[in-house]
Amino acid sequence: MERLIYRFDELGQADSEKAGKKCANLGELTRAGFRVPPGFAVALDAYARFMTETGVRARIDEWLASFAADPNSAADISKYEEASVVIRRMVEETQMPTDVEAAIREHYDALCQTTGVPAVPVATRSAGPASHPGQYESYLLISGAADVVSYVRKVWASTFNTRSLIARARAGLPVSYDPIGVAVLQMVDAKAAGVMFTTNPSDGDTTKIFIEANWGLGESVVAGEVTPDSFLVDKASSEIVKRSICQKKTWFTLDPATGRPSFQEVPEDKKDASTLTDAEVQEIARGGVRIEEHFGGAQDIEWAVDANSNLPESIMFLQTRPAKHVTEKKNPTDRIIDFMLRGL
Amino acid sequence: MTAVYGVTQFDLDENDVKSYGAWFCDVTHGTPPWKPLYVIHSWLWPGYRSIQRAYEKLSVPTSKGWDIRLKDGYPYPSVMLTTDEEAKERAVAFRDKIRPYIEDTAGLWNAAKIDLLETYEGLKKKYGLDTYESIKQLSNIDLLELVDDYRPVNTKQWDVHMDFFVPVFYLFGLFENMCRDLLGIDHTNALFSKAMGGFDSMTMNFNREIWKLGARALELGLESTFSGVDDGEALLQELQSSEVGKQWLHEYTEFLKVFGWRCDRMLDWSTPTWLEKPSLGLPAIKMAVATKGTSSINAKRELAEKERIEAEKGLLAQVSVDQRDWFEALMKAAQVAGYWSEDHNYYCDLYAAALGRWITREIGRRFAEASVIDDPEDIYFLIFEDIYRALIPMGRVKLQERVAARKAEWEGYLALVPQMLVGDPAVMGLMAKKDPVMIAAFALPNVREELKADLYGGGSAPGMVEGVARVIMTENELGTLQPGEILVAPGTSSQWTPAFEIIKGIVTDGGGALSHAVIVAREYGIPAVTGCQQATRKIKTGDKLRVDGDLGIVFINR
Repeated sequence: MERLIYRFDELGQADSEKAGKKCANLGELTRAGFRVPPGFAVALDAYARFMTETGVRARIDEWLASFAADPNSAADISKYEEASVVIRRMVEETQMPTDVEAAIREHYDALCQTTGVPAVPVATRSAGPASHPGQYESYLLISGAADVVSYVRKVWASTFNTRSLIARARAGLPVSYDPIGVAVLQMVDAKAAGVMFTTNPSDGDTTKIFIEANWGLGESVVAGEVTPDSFLVDKASSEIVKRSICQKKTWFTLDPATGRPSFQEVPEDKKDASTLTDAEVQEIARGGVRIEEHFGGAQDIEWAVDANSNLPESIMFLQTRPAKHVTEKKNPTDRIIDFMLRGL
Repeated sequence: MTAVYGVTQFDLDENDVKSYGAWFCDVTHGTPPWKPLYVIHSWLWPGYRSIQRAYEKLSVPTSKGWDIRLKDGYPYPSVMLTTDEEAKERAVAFRDKIRPYIEDTAGLWNAAKIDLLETYEGLKKKYGLDTYESIKQLSNIDLLELVDDYRPVNTKQWDVHMDFFVPVFYLFGLFENMCRDLLGIDHTNALFSKAMGGFDSMTMNFNREIWKLGARALELGLESTFSGVDDGEALLQELQSSEVGKQWLHEYTEFLKVFGWRCDRMLDWSTPTWLEKPSLGLPAIKMAVATKGTSSINAKRELAEKERIEAEKGLLAQVSVDQRDWFEALMKAAQVAGYWSEDHNYYCDLYAAALGRWITREIGRRFAEASVIDDPEDIYFLIFEDIYRALIPMGRVKLQERVAARKAEWEGYLALVPQMLVGDPAVMGLMAKKDPVMIAAFALPNVREELKADLYGGGSAPGMVEGVARVIMTENELGTLQPGEILVAPGTSSQWTPAFEIIKGIVTDGGGALSHAVIVAREYGIPAVTGCQQATRKIKTGDKLRVDGDLGIVFINR
């Protein structure tokens, strides 16, 4: 019988078809000895079992039989939005097969044991087999087995969000079925977080590491919501060759009033302060160099600094994938001209 | 609407207002109103044809350049904006055309200014004019041909002027916008201002020479002569009466060979050149002698250069690392705006206008002698077509009536307050946003009611100062300026720059971020608030002022 759940240390790069690319990479990172938050991967097979055995896929297909819309027409987007609401409700209201649910609960309980934190807060992140970042949903700060089960199902349901329905319809793929994995991993209590490119993205210089950082969870940087602090580090010497400390107005963090994370105003004393010490920058960069070596190509990495531990254990890696769009060296003159012409 | 001075080409009619939407009064350059000969044959056209040609050559996407009308004796420009489709088409060629200006305006300008000097020398040489006086020897027919050779030389100067003016101001404006977007600052910010300063130009060279001449006067023991005689002509006489005086005058004459090709009012043929009337330069020298010849210019220049280097670093540090390469390239391109702005005054505006004065004044002299007009200066109430009518016939054709009619008209314009805007302020706002040069060239006062200031400026150089105002409307009043006063003027031309050595601050009616007042004030480290529109009307000499160049505002206490 196929496995429903894998621990990260049981997975490697080659396992994207089993557990999704994100889980495979997290597994690879874990095995290679990088500090990754502990967790487990809900396999594609669990999605398959859920969709087929409960009959929810069949119910979706039945509903879709009387659904007509043109995925290439902007006018029909609202139809897909309605379809998305209906289908997602169907998925979220369907009980998981008992053994699937049991497996999730068992692994979550084991996670609470390993971390020593009862009802340990986790993130449930979508992990598609082919790399398509940002197409499905992730949920943060989920605690307790019941919620974990519920949110794993919500991640599965996000394969039926509007743009995914349209994308599959356009490509002629089955609309009612898109198996993905789910990464369930401990939330880092992030003092600061951000992204790292293992080459300079603006000119393709492969001798440099480029880091962007903000306070709190990395969502603010990944989503491009703020202008973060940035650092350029020389790979060979670990020297911070350029730095830009910006005024950081907002961060993504737990809102004590709601118990959910959201974008909030950064406290005054942190707005202009550097998010990272030089030592932290260098440790993150060193991690980047080793990750790039391990994967054999330029990487786009998400990292966080754990507020509850010290260097070097505080530096954690949450994601890695091959870096896209490495810009060829664009002449400053051309960039100036681009700016003169923007808005046309 | 009636044609100004009887010339219909530039009259502002209802169709113009409908078709363009807005025309605004260029008080910066046009105050006081010009006499007909200059405004029609130099300022309006070819001046504006050169602007239009420059925009076309550069293929500026959002604008086809400026157009011009004459109303109530004042110039009224407007902007010819493009449609979105036209902008996209023009952007294609623009990429290539703008490139050399981003990368090496300084190199291009060096070549262009040498070429201009050669053109001016070539013109003089063609007619055998090796001294200023030798123009008197030309026959009438040669003088007529000289006019017709001068006109394309003047056009060429305008073309060169605009070829650089458009991209240089465009890039400066872009840099300022980039600083607003990325750093939340504009040209009024001290760091920005310092990053643009510390450059030499012919204006600074002019200041240095003035101060050297002052020092020489002191060395030669002429201090009492200079301080004892107020009137320029009398001072000249006095200097001619002694050996040391003649010695000094000899050195002054050498100075005039280079720097004397300038009219008293920079862009105008109707005021004398320094070569024509050497006493015009003496008030500035008196100022230098009075400060005991210790010019601060070299020290200020060194300081400004140091501060610029620090400020460049300061700005770059605030920019995200992956943007620094092009931000720095753009900053370097923007820096050219300051010194080009000063430098081109010498090579373009001053020199060409001086040649124009030289030629037209000689015609005026002959016309007055032959009773074609009553006074040589009346020539400036004529237009070239009148001159062509009367020059060869010399004496057979009378032009006093034409002079009288236009003179009366001009005197009327002197007395009135021009309308600031004809048309829709919203369209004006759109022009300011979409024409990439306009906002740097003409700034409207940035009014912030909550500051409760008496005047708001459109441009400024940082710093704050309190002091006594001296309102000066024309160059020849500069002699009344006292050290430590705050100069209040319609604008300034580069003639006025020696005054920056002794004033504490400056307030002007016209001018934006790239006006002389701002650029030179920055080099001297004094505050400036420009583009106030009403400064010379609201402030009286003797008023106590607080000039705040950081906020761009002025408070008046009577």
